[in-house]
Amino acid sequence: MTSTTTTTGIDIDWTLCDGHGLCAAVLPRHITRDEWGFPVLHGVEAADEAALRRVVSVCPALALRLRSA
Amino acid sequence: MTATMNFATARTVQGATWTIGAPRLLAGLDRHATLDLRAHLETHGALPSADLQRLLDHLDAIALAGRGGAGFPLAAKIRALKGGRPEVIVNGTEGEPGSDKDRTLLRRSPHLVIDGALALASTLSARDVRIAVHDAATAARVRDALAERSDAGRVQVRQIDGGFVSGEARALVRALSGGPALPPGRREHATERGQLVLNAESAAQVAVALRMGWRRYADTGSRGEPGTTLLTLGGAVDNPGVVEIPIGTPLGIVLAAAGARSPQAAVIGGYHGSWLAPNPSIELSRAGLKSAGGTLGAGVILVVGDDTCALGELAAATNWLAGESAKQCGPCMFGLPALAQDVSALRRGQPSAVEVALRHARSVDGRGACAHPDGTARFVTSALHLLQDETHLHLHGGCGRPTRGHLPIGKQP
Repeated sequence: MTSTTTTTGIDIDWTLCDGHGLCAAVLPRHITRDEWGFPVLHGVEAADEAALRRVVSVCPALALRLRSA
Repeated sequence: MTATMNFATARTVQGATWTIGAPRLLAGLDRHATLDLRAHLETHGALPSADLQRLLDHLDAIALAGRGGAGFPLAAKIRALKGGRPEVIVNGTEGEPGSDKDRTLLRRSPHLVIDGALALASTLSARDVRIAVHDAATAARVRDALAERSDAGRVQVRQIDGGFVSGEARALVRALSGGPALPPGRREHATERGQLVLNAESAAQVAVALRMGWRRYADTGSRGEPGTTLLTLGGAVDNPGVVEIPIGTPLGIVLAAAGARSPQAAVIGGYHGSWLAPNPSIELSRAGLKSAGGTLGAGVILVVGDDTCALGELAAATNWLAGESAKQCGPCMFGLPALAQDVSALRRGQPSAVEVALRHARSVDGRGACAHPDGTARFVTSALHLLQDETHLHLHGGCGRPTRGHLPIGKQP
């Protein structure tokens, strides 16, 4: 990744997400879980890029991707 | 607008058509059950040839918006095509239970849709043309029409089985390439892969516009949205069927012509649309519906009469929508059945159900691979806002009306 790319959040592939919940454990300020365990994002764009990369990397279903502008 | 009602109609309820103003897409259907090639050419004349620039100029001038529900400008879609020679894919799948316009066009005026598809294919130098439909009878009728023509050798008809969400453009493309008829998880648009997916009515509109020229095409309709559009009228009406109207015609004129029986609500835009009070001054255009807090969608208007239990109608439709989840995405798979249960609980008079339903509707919105959860949330939320008096009755013993099934459930035959 070059330094000119700006990360602006994460995209969820809902067909892959199984609600494991590791994303919410890693970034509880910005990701909570709904009553079935699936992630709910809250202003995730405000999180720093390193944190977002970590969230993406912990998903066991590979359902998360960095969104870049 | 001149409100001349043309009631030369109704051989059968299935495929019945009527028009307000002069018919364009439905021309000839007052005299013919279906237009063969000869009747088509007598009715519409020969299709003039067009180059890409002329076609785009036309589409820009008439601001032709797709008629599959999303209303995306067709010219912009064409300009967004990536790659080499594109594919033209006509979407006639129409999984919406209240919609019959695309099936009716393909069964009764198939050559108009084929003309539009071929005109796009030749101006874009497309490598092939496919027409996708849901049912065998429509597929057979389109194949018969193709066999009458010498210019349609590259057009294929494909029958795609599947439910409500299988008609979504990306689900359709996936099915055509041998996959399941389900929306993919990544939000990549078909144009990025060189595929122009357009609704069957949109193709017919292209054929009409090329024949009329954009000036004549724009001599009816509203200022920002020229021309006519097809609606499907159903529910508590005496004249159900497919209707062609000048865009911007007031809802009251259409409901009167349809013989609406004491409406308590109109569901406009189908089951991903909204419940609205049947205000006669609502303009039936995308802009008019937007300012009324709704959406025109693919032009479905279902009248809920005042002799039926509106919450019962809502519960049945929501239950059906929950069952149409492809069950690929958690929030939709779990959230929509919960929402359907909330509506049923509300109908039984459970006091907390409104609040819980609104919360569940908010929680599914935007959280899926396709717009099914968003559309279902809009449908239920708009109903709960409109039906507050009805809700009050149910919390205090019930409305006393049976559920008559004004809202159609499941596929058309």
